Amino acid sequence: MRPEDERYFRRLEDQLDDAFDVAERAKERGGDPKPEVEIPVAKDMADRVENILGIDGVAERVRELEGQMSREEAALELAEDFAEGRVGDYETRAGKVEGAVRTAVALLTEGVVAAPIEGIDKVEILENDDGTEFVNVYYAGPIRSAGGTAQALSVLVADYTRALVGIEQFNARQEEVERYAEEIALYDKETGLQYCPKAKEAKFIANHLPIMLDGEATGDEEVSGFRDLERVDTNSARGGMCLVLGEGIALKAPKIQRYTRNLDEIDWPWLQDLIDGNYDDEAEAADDGDDADDVSSDDADVDADMDDGADGDDGDDTADDPEGPPRVDTSEKFLRDLIAGRPVFSHPCAEGGFRLRYGRARNHGFATAGVHPAAMHLVDDFLATGTQIKTERPGKAAGVVPVNSIEGPTVKLANGDVRRIDDPEDALEIRNGVEKILDLGEYLVNYGEFVENNHPLAPASYTYEWWVQDFAAAGVDVQALEDDPRIDLEFPDPEEAVEWATEYDAPLHPEYTYLWHDISVDAFCDLAAAVAEGRIERDGDGSVDGNGDDSILILASDDTVADALETIVIEHRQRPGEDRIEIDDWRPFVRSVGFEPRRTAADGAALEREERATTIELERTWSDDDLSDRARTWGHEAAGDNAIEAVNEVAPFQVRERAPTRIGNRMGRPEKSESRDLSPAVHTLFPIGEAGGTQRNVADAAKHAETMSDTPGVVELEVGRQRCNSCGTETFKNRCPDCDDRTTPDYRCPDCDQSLEPDEAGRVECDRCEREGTCVETREIDVNDEFRSALESVGERENAFEILKGVKGLSSQIKVPEPIEKGILRAKHDVSSFKDGTVRYDMTDLPVTSVRASELDIDVGQLQALGYEEDIHGEPLTHEDQLVELKVQDIVLSDGAAEHMLRTADFIDDLLEQYYGLESFYEFEDRQDLVGELVFGMAPHTSAATVGRVIGFTSAAVGYAHPYFHAAKRRNCDGDEDCVMLLLDGLLNFSKTFLPDQRGGKMDAPLVMSSRIDPSEIDDEAHNMDVVTQYPRDFYLATREQADPEDVDIEIAEENLGTDLEYTGFDHTHDTTNIAMGPDLSAYKTLGSMMDKMDAQLELSRKLEAVDETDVAERVIEYHFLPDLIGNLRAFSRQETRCLDCGEKFRRMPLTGDCRECGGRVNLTVHKGSVNKYMQTAIQVADEYDCRDYTKQRLEVLERSLESIFENDKNKQSGIEDFM
Amino acid sequence: MPLEAPARIVGELTSRGYNAEREAVTRLAAAENPNAALERVLEEIPDDALVVRTDHVETALSTAGAAGAVGAETVAGAESQPADSTPSVSTGTSPEDRDPTGGSPVETEGSRSADPAQRSLEIVGDMTGQSTGTGEYSDFVSVFRDRLDRLGAKLRGRVNHRPATAIQDMPGGSEVAMVGLVNDIRSTASGHWLIELEDATGTFPWLVMKDREYADLVGELLCDEVLAMEGTLADDSGIAFVDAMHFPDVPRTHEPSTADRHVQAALISDVHVGSQEFMADAWNAFADWLHTPDAQHVEYLLLAGDMVEGVGVYPDQDEELDIVDIYEQYEAFSEHLKKIPGDIEIVMIPGNHDAVRLAEPQPGFDEELREIMSVHDPQIVSNPSMVTLEGVSVLMYHGVSLDEVIAELPEEKASYDDPHKAMYHLLKKRHVAPQFGGHTRLAPEEKDYLIIDEVPDIFHTGHVHKLGFGKYHDVLAINSGCWQAQTDFQKSVNIDPDAGFAPIVDLDTLDVTVQKFS
Repeated sequence: MRPEDERYFRRLEDQLDDAFDVAERAKERGGDPKPEVEIPVAKDMADRVENILGIDGVAERVRELEGQMSREEAALELAEDFAEGRVGDYETRAGKVEGAVRTAVALLTEGVVAAPIEGIDKVEILENDDGTEFVNVYYAGPIRSAGGTAQALSVLVADYTRALVGIEQFNARQEEVERYAEEIALYDKETGLQYCPKAKEAKFIANHLPIMLDGEATGDEEVSGFRDLERVDTNSARGGMCLVLGEGIALKAPKIQRYTRNLDEIDWPWLQDLIDGNYDDEAEAADDGDDADDVSSDDADVDADMDDGADGDDGDDTADDPEGPPRVDTSEKFLRDLIAGRPVFSHPCAEGGFRLRYGRARNHGFATAGVHPAAMHLVDDFLATGTQIKTERPGKAAGVVPVNSIEGPTVKLANGDVRRIDDPEDALEIRNGVEKILDLGEYLVNYGEFVENNHPLAPASYTYEWWVQDFAAAGVDVQALEDDPRIDLEFPDPEEAVEWATEYDAPLHPEYTYLWHDISVDAFCDLAAAVAEGRIERDGDGSVDGNGDDSILILASDDTVADALETIVIEHRQRPGEDRIEIDDWRPFVRSVGFEPRRTAADGAALEREERATTIELERTWSDDDLSDRARTWGHEAAGDNAIEAVNEVAPFQVRERAPTRIGNRMGRPEKSESRDLSPAVHTLFPIGEAGGTQRNVADAAKHAETMSDTPGVVELEVGRQRCNSCGTETFKNRCPDCDDRTTPDYRCPDCDQSLEPDEAGRVECDRCEREGTCVETREIDVNDEFRSALESVGERENAFEILKGVKGLSSQIKVPEPIEKGILRAKHDVSSFKDGTVRYDMTDLPVTSVRASELDIDVGQLQALGYEEDIHGEPLTHEDQLVELKVQDIVLSDGAAEHMLRTADFIDDLLEQYYGLESFYEFEDRQDLVGELVFGMAPHTSAATVGRVIGFTSAAVGYAHPYFHAAKRRNCDGDEDCVMLLLDGLLNFSKTFLPDQRGGKMDAPLVMSSRIDPSEIDDEAHNMDVVTQYPRDFYLATREQADPEDVDIEIAEENLGTDLEYTGFDHTHDTTNIAMGPDLSAYKTLGSMMDKMDAQLELSRKLEAVDETDVAERVIEYHFLPDLIGNLRAFSRQETRCLDCGEKFRRMPLTGDCRECGGRVNLTVHKGSVNKYMQTAIQVADEYDCRDYTKQRLEVLERSLESIFENDKNKQSGIEDFM
Repeated sequence: MPLEAPARIVGELTSRGYNAEREAVTRLAAAENPNAALERVLEEIPDDALVVRTDHVETALSTAGAAGAVGAETVAGAESQPADSTPSVSTGTSPEDRDPTGGSPVETEGSRSADPAQRSLEIVGDMTGQSTGTGEYSDFVSVFRDRLDRLGAKLRGRVNHRPATAIQDMPGGSEVAMVGLVNDIRSTASGHWLIELEDATGTFPWLVMKDREYADLVGELLCDEVLAMEGTLADDSGIAFVDAMHFPDVPRTHEPSTADRHVQAALISDVHVGSQEFMADAWNAFADWLHTPDAQHVEYLLLAGDMVEGVGVYPDQDEELDIVDIYEQYEAFSEHLKKIPGDIEIVMIPGNHDAVRLAEPQPGFDEELREIMSVHDPQIVSNPSMVTLEGVSVLMYHGVSLDEVIAELPEEKASYDDPHKAMYHLLKKRHVAPQFGGHTRLAPEEKDYLIIDEVPDIFHTGHVHKLGFGKYHDVLAINSGCWQAQTDFQKSVNIDPDAGFAPIVDLDTLDVTVQKFS
């Protein structure tokens, strides 16, 4: 670690310590469930593992093993430790296995996710039919967050430990094996598995598993056969088990095999068969399998022979056949489940769609896609920073980031102008006049994305980065040209570009390379013919248009010519009224179509002096017959559909394919930046039952009385019983109301009422009655008194807030209420509490590796104060526009988040002063004060918070942070979102005691925090990010071969792991002016109703060249409207009913007609209105967008069904015309 | 209808009044299609034979070898018998009679000499054009009340019933009885069964002890069927212990009506025209056969739904359609219908693949579709409907509820292999689709059109693509097979359809013969 990194972390930790001190002092004074801070700090992964598990000694052992072996091996090593009692204090063999399995899962998930505590319920020892013992592991749903490898390995570790402690293998009964197969299929249908093993495969695994996989029921649907089995408690699908068997063992067999091979104690020879797919039952094979096998293997041989033959033929064919341009295969997957209101931007590989450009912008990488901000505006603002898109390749989804150093979109305006729009301001200006979006511009994807998704490289667009290396390779001294202030290498004048191409024998500059590959050879010849008829004119406006003179190319107006020009995406003006098409930058264009401009002296000296300039004639250098066969038939889908080879034959220079790869995509989720509220929002975790009304208003509850004789405000509530340790007073509070000493939960046996103490594992059981003890009781609480005294104690009046919302009841195990005081102050500052007592703000994750002060709304001084001294080039930091490399735990807040954090800080300050009696801590005046403050980053499904530091603000509705920060929380940036909490809020208000006592309750709660990020201990997806300033020329050439990304040498972050450089050197290839450009919010969020969104979606699809609007309309109908209609209609004809008065539900309409419970009115739950709400819209859309008959007919059939059900045949609704 | 097990062959033979030699049964079981072979044997066996012997089987199997595409059981003239050691019978088959190429149509005018004057065909319970429900809550309530009234009427005479609310007020230990809809079925912690019955006044819980004889019947119960319970009130009158259960049922005294002359009806369903799996060859063979003298007595054709494969019945169905346009599907179906001899009376009801509402009762096709199918002038009625052919009443119902009966009931009581047994339960409950809220969809109408009000002589369903028939209290239950080969979906769930069969019923005797065309 470099000294500056060490300084950085030390600083964060010092800051953390200061806050910790304040929090500890406060906790000692207040009435919190625990008198100390409940989030332990973990310095490294070993600490986290130990803290999450709560098993002493694990951390030390993990650290010992870490340097010596892989994490998987360490897990197995620890299993031995558990078996032999060196780690963990377990008496029973089941306990040892349980400890080993949990530790393995925790280790493999880096101690971040909740799977080891929530995903494994228990381990027990049961008996086989032959009387031997076996191990049964109970999995629960949250094992999902562990991922397949850890799930599979948990089984292996269980088996290994089982062998070590001397328990036999599990022998599944036949009905249990069948049950596994049926259950997995059921779970897949109900919930869905990434990989669902076929029945045969599932049975094969179940037959061979050496331990039993069991678990809790996770769904309502029950299996139909193999019910009520002796050793299976439930008839429902056991989600955890299904995940482990399907996504774990079945999917990760090769990975487990790597470890079983090295272990002598256990033997899983069947894994090989599983991997090979030989799951025929041995029994079957013994009977008649032999012959069958022989036959099939013969068949296989024959097949192989035939394949060989075919291959051979293919080889020959390719030699004979004309080869085509390299192209990726189209994939339609991303269009699946298209929904109304989320537009398609480009169909798979469609012309006019996003063009793949390789590179990583500084706010890019890690499952994101760089889009030009002008394009974001032009797609009617549907794309904003952070909007998730579902994409064709290389991954499945990506978060959109604005990058303006790539080429913008090209549009055709209503006035006939075809313009490329490179400025978002221009985009907004011309947006209303856009008739067609001919091309969406470039789409930046970094190399690492292909590595991460293991996707073969797709042919690269011809871009400046590649050209400049071609240029250098042609022997040009690029450095000299770069240094020449008169020359702009990236955006040269057309004449320069032509000159470089002809003089140096380098391919034509991409700026003037048009998309020749998108027109056919025929269209190209037609275009050449049109140019031959064209003329060069002075447009008289005096501009030189970069041609060195005031001239433009005029072609006769013609639809096919206009089409061709639009397809190759060249800027021009169509003036059909004047029968002309004007092209400004005509020189590279006419050279590309094989014309030589020749100057001829103007005829006649009579012309005036200034017009005496030479006229220019275009001389065609070729005729159609000159084209070779190869050029004529060059194509991908059809022979001759690609004119690039023709261009290369007629042009005096080499022309590369400008954009061979287009990437289809559609909108996924909109971006997110909003506070996380429970629903309904809650200010205090204090129960008030039904007394607070539907609003759960504490003030109402304080006045509530059931009858006239009841005391207002006295409510019967279920709370935990606490007892004062010194004076014995019984209360429900954490501090004794009499002597102010701490209280502890008072457990009793529900049968014999004996006082009980929890054992070391926290279990409370009565020895005599063998029943679980509890401290929860129903008691009368004077909410009015609690509320008033809380107001008084913090010195607030009721008008300090609009409403104070409590909860109906507590869902935690010992049901300790939060002090109302905290809620009063939250309500005062208008922040609400999450289930664990913290105040949270959610943002979509996006990566950024270097930032400028100017875009973060901070100044250089603030950056310097945070320890930033140099810019990315090593220059001293002096002005706001310099780029600095972001430190790994620094984060950028969205405007909304900053505002929310400010209110939280005010709440914390009041809390410290008015409740804990300490000095305020934050004392913020404006948001600039937030810079440098610490926060927690915390992702759903995990149990570890990561400490971050605020560095600045952005108007984009996202949370920008270093990719390593996101990876530490186990997020990537493909539309994932997670939350931030203010540091002291977490320290002061979080308590495990509040967490719901149910499966998954401990997820999304900061059970432990990481104070510093160790790059080796984060989600390794982030290691695949490339960190270079330029991709080599070989890379671009390799993309044409569609090479394996691993075969290309580009430095990725992984290479610096464990070195001094692991926190630095995140270079990028593309800059962007500001990390927040384009619209701040996606139109999806600003448009009102679903209908508005859908109208906008379909309207956009008409404008986009790359989108087939009929297909969009069809998909919206097929995937959204029809399922909705059919589903609702089905629901209608099988619906439940509900009492409008008491809410009682009935499976079927009661024969009495009225509610059987209260006599109230009963009504349907699915009405006509909800069934046919989309019917007319769907029919209209199908009609307007000319959907195919199949779709229209489905709608017709449905419409008639609706009529048949909802209309009386004998009393049809009639129109007025019936009476005329 | 695979009948692999010898035991089932014996059962089948016994049910038709034959004994059999052990070897004969083994041979039959080993035959490629044991059922067809069995039918063939019975076809050929001398009238006076009581025991099926091995040589009967051998003869039948050997003739089968020569059978062409046209069904092996095709009845032909018995003039030219082969020189066979086996005594022949008038209805026996002879290989020489058959056209060796099988499928060529036999357009013999003389073979069809039916006298339309002798025919009669009446329809009862067609609700086409009578759908008055508008999907209101009250419509649903009326349907279920109508169900309780009409099916309850069949039970009220049998027990001394009391309303649910009155029972609560009776003294503990009283003998009580109640008629109601099953509202809920639960098992208790101790393994007994708690059944909640509901009538127009409220609900009352009935406990069936696990060791009582009625416990077995609990497995057959479906929610919302109507039944009567008799029993003893518990001491606190909060629950009653069941002593007897009564179902509306088909009276044991039921005697089926028959036609006065020898006339036959073909009962088919699930044609699925438009599907890639539609078996056009089998259908053509069937149509051709109808033109032969063998089929001269077939004067009625009943079609129990799923004329076409439909559109949008399941996701991405268009990829498996041969004809994607729904109207073209019906046009193609109409073309296939034209091949049926013009003098055969056709009655058809819609099924779940047809272009009508899915919710039951399903009205018959609308005018547009009727127009398309008008050439043969079929009678198009609602699903379900009762058709009376020369005095023989046939209840036609497509059969969607069979899926539910088979799923809910224990396998030995109802399975896809014996679809007719699932039908027995519907007859017993006197309702074609009792359970609400599950698989079957209900469209509320002013009355419950799904009740089996009058006991039919024949109950005809389809839908499950399995052939099966048998008698329940002398009601002939027939589930016709289909004309669609195994689909990918059926393959995935291991359903092997009985495709290309046409059960033919003699309306004068209610005997069934199965013709095979695939």
